[in-house]
Amino acid sequence: MRQAIAQLMARSKREIPHYYLSNTVDMTAAMSWLHQRNRELAVSERLVPAALLLKAAAVAARQVPDLNGYWEGDHFVPAAAVHLGVPISLRGGGLLTPAIHDASDLPPGELMARLRDLVTRARAGRLRRAELTEATITVTNLGDQGVEAVFGVIYPPQVALVGIGKLTEKPVASHGLIGARPVVVTTLSADHRSSDGYTGARYLAALSDLLQRPEEL
Amino acid sequence: MTPEQARHAIEESLVQVAPDADLGSLGPDADLRDSLELDSLDFLNFIEALSERAGRRIEEDDYPHLATMASAIKFLADR
Repeated sequence: MRQAIAQLMARSKREIPHYYLSNTVDMTAAMSWLHQRNRELAVSERLVPAALLLKAAAVAARQVPDLNGYWEGDHFVPAAAVHLGVPISLRGGGLLTPAIHDASDLPPGELMARLRDLVTRARAGRLRRAELTEATITVTNLGDQGVEAVFGVIYPPQVALVGIGKLTEKPVASHGLIGARPVVVTTLSADHRSSDGYTGARYLAALSDLLQRPEEL
Repeated sequence: MTPEQARHAIEESLVQVAPDADLGSLGPDADLRDSLELDSLDFLNFIEALSERAGRRIEEDDYPHLATMASAIKFLADR
């Protein structure tokens, strides 16, 4: 497995001119919506913040389709649907990146159920081969490991990788007042052959906007 | 729940979520998530398993009480 990761990542850094952007997102609305929702549902149906962030990342990819698809030969081919690659670390080392199909169309609860299923099967060694090759964009979440921001390496032939950092409380100025708010640093690594920083910036702005209206996700 | 029953329920729930977890070397005040490398999904699975064993719903607001073995035992045994 190490060799497979090594080859793919070396190819990525050899072939893809990455550019990197980051944006700190206010998570006040998202967290209070989650908290309220989780209070009303069974424990087994609770959403973790990571699931809501994945959903928002998938919808943002639909809104900015220039980042969702593949670089083939010398041009970008957009994908018809958003299949979200989610790197899953295995206990004992290694990494698998299966895809959540049509992630932008799934209600958050369903996306959460798919995520739990993928994690369980990845760790049990029961993923289908096709599941590991179908992602159109990848979202890596290292927040649980305590990192503030992750600037990742794109999985070729994909053209973008979204990074989610740790959810923390930070002093944030809003309407001239400073208060403690939950924030998360979102990042984008994108392929400069297929998109420019302007497109990447639109993606991160869309992601942030979506997270201010969690009830619509 | 007695403290001993609480410890048993917590340990069984942890093993269910992280079968390779070495609970023997876990100190009473060690952070469970950090020590056992539980991500947010693992932790939710732990809460779900523990809720079932304890026969009571554990709210998100209760999560801080479940940070360590000692605090979790106290939390479950107190009620």
